[in-house]
Amino acid sequence: MKKTFAWFAALALTASAFGVEIGKPAPDFSGTDINGKIVRLSDYKGKIIVIESYNSDCPFCHNHYASGAMQELQKDLAAKGLVWLLVDSVNTKNFSYRTPEQARKESADLKIAATAWLDDHAGEIGHLYGMKTTPHCFVVAADGTLVYDGAIDDRPQPFGDPRTAKNYVRAAVDELLAGKPVTVSQTKPYGCGVHYAN
Amino acid sequence: MRQTTAIFLTCLSLVFFTTGPASAQTALPSFGDAFAAHHTQVKLILSADTAKPGDTIWAGVDLKMESGWHTYWKNPGDAGSPTKIEWTLPPGISAGEIQWPLPEKLPPAEVTTYGYETEVVLLVPLTLASNLSGGPLNLAAKVSWLECKESCIPADATVEAKLNIGSETKTSAEASLVQSWQQKIPKPINNANWKIKVWWEKPATGDLRPLIFERPGIYSAAKNIPYSVDVFPEANDHFEIQSAVENLPSGIGGFHIRKFVKKFDGNWPTEIGGTLVATNYLGRQGYDFKLPIDEFLASEQSLLQMLLFAFIGGLILNIMPCVLPVIALKILGFVSEAKSEPRRVRKLGLIYALGVLLSFLALAAVVIGVKAAGHHAGWGMQFGSPVFIVCLTMLVTLVALNLFGVFEVTLGGRALDTAGELASKHGAAGAFFNGVLATMLATPCTAPFLGAALGFAFAQSASVIVLIFLTVGLGLASPYILLSWNPAWLKFLPKPGAWMEKFKIAMGFPMLATVVWLFNVAASSYGKNVLWLGIFLVVVAFAAWIFGEFFQRGRSRRGVALALVLILLAGGYAFALEKELDWRTAMPEANATGSLKESADGIDWQPWSVEAVAQARAAGKPVLVDFTADWCLTCQVNKKTSIEISSVREKLKSLNAVVLLGDYTHFPDAITTELNRYHRAGVPLVLVYPKNADTPPIVLPEILTPGIVLDALNRAGKP
Repeated sequence: MKKTFAWFAALALTASAFGVEIGKPAPDFSGTDINGKIVRLSDYKGKIIVIESYNSDCPFCHNHYASGAMQELQKDLAAKGLVWLLVDSVNTKNFSYRTPEQARKESADLKIAATAWLDDHAGEIGHLYGMKTTPHCFVVAADGTLVYDGAIDDRPQPFGDPRTAKNYVRAAVDELLAGKPVTVSQTKPYGCGVHYAN
Repeated sequence: MRQTTAIFLTCLSLVFFTTGPASAQTALPSFGDAFAAHHTQVKLILSADTAKPGDTIWAGVDLKMESGWHTYWKNPGDAGSPTKIEWTLPPGISAGEIQWPLPEKLPPAEVTTYGYETEVVLLVPLTLASNLSGGPLNLAAKVSWLECKESCIPADATVEAKLNIGSETKTSAEASLVQSWQQKIPKPINNANWKIKVWWEKPATGDLRPLIFERPGIYSAAKNIPYSVDVFPEANDHFEIQSAVENLPSGIGGFHIRKFVKKFDGNWPTEIGGTLVATNYLGRQGYDFKLPIDEFLASEQSLLQMLLFAFIGGLILNIMPCVLPVIALKILGFVSEAKSEPRRVRKLGLIYALGVLLSFLALAAVVIGVKAAGHHAGWGMQFGSPVFIVCLTMLVTLVALNLFGVFEVTLGGRALDTAGELASKHGAAGAFFNGVLATMLATPCTAPFLGAALGFAFAQSASVIVLIFLTVGLGLASPYILLSWNPAWLKFLPKPGAWMEKFKIAMGFPMLATVVWLFNVAASSYGKNVLWLGIFLVVVAFAAWIFGEFFQRGRSRRGVALALVLILLAGGYAFALEKELDWRTAMPEANATGSLKESADGIDWQPWSVEAVAQARAAGKPVLVDFTADWCLTCQVNKKTSIEISSVREKLKSLNAVVLLGDYTHFPDAITTELNRYHRAGVPLVLVYPKNADTPPIVLPEILTPGIVLDALNRAGKP
């Protein structure tokens, strides 16, 4: 009996430490972007925010950028007044880690159209949101509640054209903008593991 | 060196990918060639060199990974992608599905994947048509896989093998390799032998729900006793079995594990598939299964234990502070009935029990209804409703007045005239009412054992809820049933006589005490306006007196008396309750922030929240949490005797502990969720979180003593 309690307590703690829940306020965080600016989630209160776990060396992630599909989505949503945050949680020892300088170059080369690219090499934001893969995506509604947590789309392939897939992030944002409830609010994220520091 | 290669590969892939989607597709073959044998070498092996038409032979795709690199199982887990095989076969040969050898669970825990390191042979049965003509045939397969180490690289390769069609089957040099990998393919489970049961342990917390897999222990030394068991899930779009596993105690030869299922959309599954992985001294063996999930099926053992707990808990409820006033009524009942014939005493005992049981049945129905409506249900939840409190306060006031003799409770109108005739009905109705009242007053208390039993019951199916509730009721009623069955045991009671009338009046005072307590509970909902409830109670009391004196016992103008009673009640209700108190729309207390200190030198209580606990623990402080409610008498008693006392105050101060108060008076969902986590259906629940944040909290029993609290705090203070 005691063991059970202990276990549940442990679970409770884990849940409160690394949990995001659909319909609950998305936890605030602050991080440094690749230009050295401090960015907080709460800076964008009142706006719809997309959070993407990013590592362009991951073939799944890469395919979205190599095909240009992700940048298109970012531009489309930016035009609608949305915020897009890239969270790069790769640890500094992994060769996929980008120094701010490398990241600025990559961002320009790939024409990434995100609002900010956060250097999360300590994995704080990644763990806070329970980011499992790159690309694992989240959508936060204008009122600060989390409305989507999962895969970018329904096509877990590192090849081909992502535009042919059903994009869950776009769908969630469209529904939010239309004032409708989000139909698909949770899916299983696919991709590569996030290379956390610990 | 390898890192340089990888960076080079990444750059190379950039070149390929940036050519755009259309050309990326066409660039695939060369892409595959470029990567061939970089970190994974692949070849195609066959179990036979020569096969006859009609045979089924095994083809194996042998993937050899460099040290540290891995490829994936059919369900890659949190990340990754399964290996794919596309066959190019001559007519007359058809390939079956890939038979996947049992994979490894690959770290890290937060992103668990299922895959293969070093080497894997993916087996595929090839069926040869019976009209196949002889001669050499070329078999080819395009294998595409994702290989990962510190980064992931997609690769593919086309592999070939030659097969001779002849009149006799000749095994190949690789046949033994194929055979050794065949043994690693999970076998389908035969559940007639295994007798594995799968059930939801409790309702979901958010999108996570614990699932139990159990095989009852057999008490003979069987072969292949698994000593550690895990479940590797089938891939599914709607839900996912999480990788963490907890092996719980179980009988020899059995297992009992807890996994968590995360739901993405839709309903909770009613069937679950995957691979059971049993590890024993012989090694690991996988078993494929597809099993139905039982809703809240508890193992019979624990149900029996919980029924026992429910009974004992119900029994102990009799002496808990909430029910104590009703005991007075019961004593009176026994004294007055002691003179009667045994048969009648027995009957009244049973009717009392019936009152208790039917009330518990009603409570169970409410709980099931609330749960079905998707809300949290909890023991004593009706005490969170001010409307219920007002009704109960009025009812107990009337009981006190009745005991004082202000009016009679009869089924007919004229008690005195037909006393003899109505006596039996009167007694029966009274006994039944006592049962109902005992139950209603019992609900704000939990007793030892009862907490565990109810916590269990609230997570179960409707039938188990009913069963447990009835057992609690049976426990509550049992002393009276026993006493009425054996009236001889009642001989120690004094003979009935004129003293009974005085005793009856005396017993009205504990009832008044109950009214005061309920009034205090109501005050937490209505604030100062509770005054109007008091005024209404006086009006009700006055009406009761008129009813008793001038209607029941009156000789003339009884109609006028009754009309007056009705006018008083209606007027009192309309003015005091509706207009002034606005009793149906009570405003809950404003959420208190800051200290909830009761006195200058009292404990510095802070309001409870999950965040507050996490914050204090992060700061390395021990935490005491008291989940309590104004209506919970056990909680109040605990606080007075064992928490808000000088020794505990000093201890808390010396430990620099954070003390949190979770107020359950108005039944907030956050606390219900927290109580459920500890398998409790109601308050009290006192938790002591040790200083060391990795250690789980100490759960204190329902009834506290200073020693229990101090001991827990001492343990919590240790690093």
